[in-house]
Amino acid sequence: MYQETDLKEMDKKIKTIKFAADELKEMSCKFPAVYRNTARILASVKMLEINISDIMDV
Amino acid sequence: MNQDQRYWNPVLETLPQEKLKKLQLKKFKRIFKWAYDNSKFHRGIYEKAGIKPDDIQSFEDISHVPKVEKSMMRDIQRKDPFPYGDALCVSLEDVTEFRQTSGTTGQPVYQADTWQDWEWWAESWSYVLWSQGYRPTDRVFIPFGYNIFVAFWAGHYGSEKIGCEVVPGGVLDTKARILKIQELKATAMMATPTYILGMAETAKKKMGIDPASLSINKITCAGEPGASIPSTKKRIEEAWGAKVYDHVGATEIGAWSYECEEQPGGLHVNEGLFLVEIEDVETGEIVNEPGRRGKMIITALDRQAQPCIRFDSKDIIEWAPEQCSCGRTYRLIKGGVIGRADDITKVKGVLLAPSAIEEVVREIDGLGEEFEVVVDKVGDIDQITLNVELMPGMEKQRESTEGRLKDQLRLKTNLGYNIIFHEYGILPRYEVKARRFKDLRKKH
Repeated sequence: MYQETDLKEMDKKIKTIKFAADELKEMSCKFPAVYRNTARILASVKMLEINISDIMDV
Repeated sequence: MNQDQRYWNPVLETLPQEKLKKLQLKKFKRIFKWAYDNSKFHRGIYEKAGIKPDDIQSFEDISHVPKVEKSMMRDIQRKDPFPYGDALCVSLEDVTEFRQTSGTTGQPVYQADTWQDWEWWAESWSYVLWSQGYRPTDRVFIPFGYNIFVAFWAGHYGSEKIGCEVVPGGVLDTKARILKIQELKATAMMATPTYILGMAETAKKKMGIDPASLSINKITCAGEPGASIPSTKKRIEEAWGAKVYDHVGATEIGAWSYECEEQPGGLHVNEGLFLVEIEDVETGEIVNEPGRRGKMIITALDRQAQPCIRFDSKDIIEWAPEQCSCGRTYRLIKGGVIGRADDITKVKGVLLAPSAIEEVVREIDGLGEEFEVVVDKVGDIDQITLNVELMPGMEKQRESTEGRLKDQLRLKTNLGYNIIFHEYGILPRYEVKARRFKDLRKKH
């Protein structure tokens, strides 16, 4: 089973991905191909948060 | 990836109940605030009840949050923004999916989803399918007419997310679907129990193919309670030589429950993604102890565009007393969804659930898969007519079959029935939700 340290590490990487995707989305509002694909990445990141990040503080 | 892994999410699905409760409370507060801040409809009903986001600190506080009924959603949809109304929490440009309810209980309700919601739909179906043994090695055939309803679209995307190969059986007719399953050696499929039984019948009687000889080893049923009714499950499993699992979800809620590989006689509530409360129909009290039936009030804890917060689903359920041997800590509801509050009706003063009739019909040999129940009044007295089909070659057993049927119905439902036998193939066949129960008393 997963240790708390593994989960913390996963959560850290999810935050990193989210930060990068948010930045990419912000800089691409005049670039539909990047903007829409980043929006989809962020939707997937949300699923990672539901599966890992949300559990971290309970 | 290790395909032997038993759980889709080994942490969340085995989280101790006290931690699950903390998670649900945290997520309820979050979705409540989201709806309060972004939907005129939600803010309106909460302000009227005098509840603000910071007021929610416990499950007791949650129980005071106003419920939302389907009829309210229908009214909302006459307002802007078209066509969803003011329950919408995002701008129309963020909506990527339109679906509507099947309209079984009245005017269909329109449902908006963002792409994030759609990912969430696929995610919640991934929990369902993984628990039922779907793995990337599976070839999943979906014998369903994909259309405006959410049914099986999300199952399709959930299968893809897991890594299965998906074969969309869309507009093919039943024979073509059976041939495609045979040709491609599909290993799994999902559809309504009625249709799955109808497919088996077509394969056997019209094509000379024994469905059990095909390669299907698991079937997920949804849309009707059949796969949680033991006699119906048994018929499907025997016909296809496959394990049959139930799943219950709804357009306006999401994929909230699943039967796992252990087939524990009930469904797990996905308590990481949903909060299920059971409300006593008479007193309105929240029921936490097993064995007491009530109405399901459900919250989808992560749904964004059109939130589902304390939705009065009208589904009748009860908590199971035991934990599942699969190791999941998610609680079980015993026997799946037992019925709907608006389907369970009083006949001659006795509460009648249509699923109880199905259970009897499906366990009697010599009867076809289809049946129809009509409740009417003769003078001032309620009368129930049960239309059934006799299988070919069973004519000589008609009298004994009728006797068994009446005895079992009396035993299981405490009511008497007028039985009408029909020739095999006469009663309507359904692909989507079967409508086998007709109450004509209101028409008088």
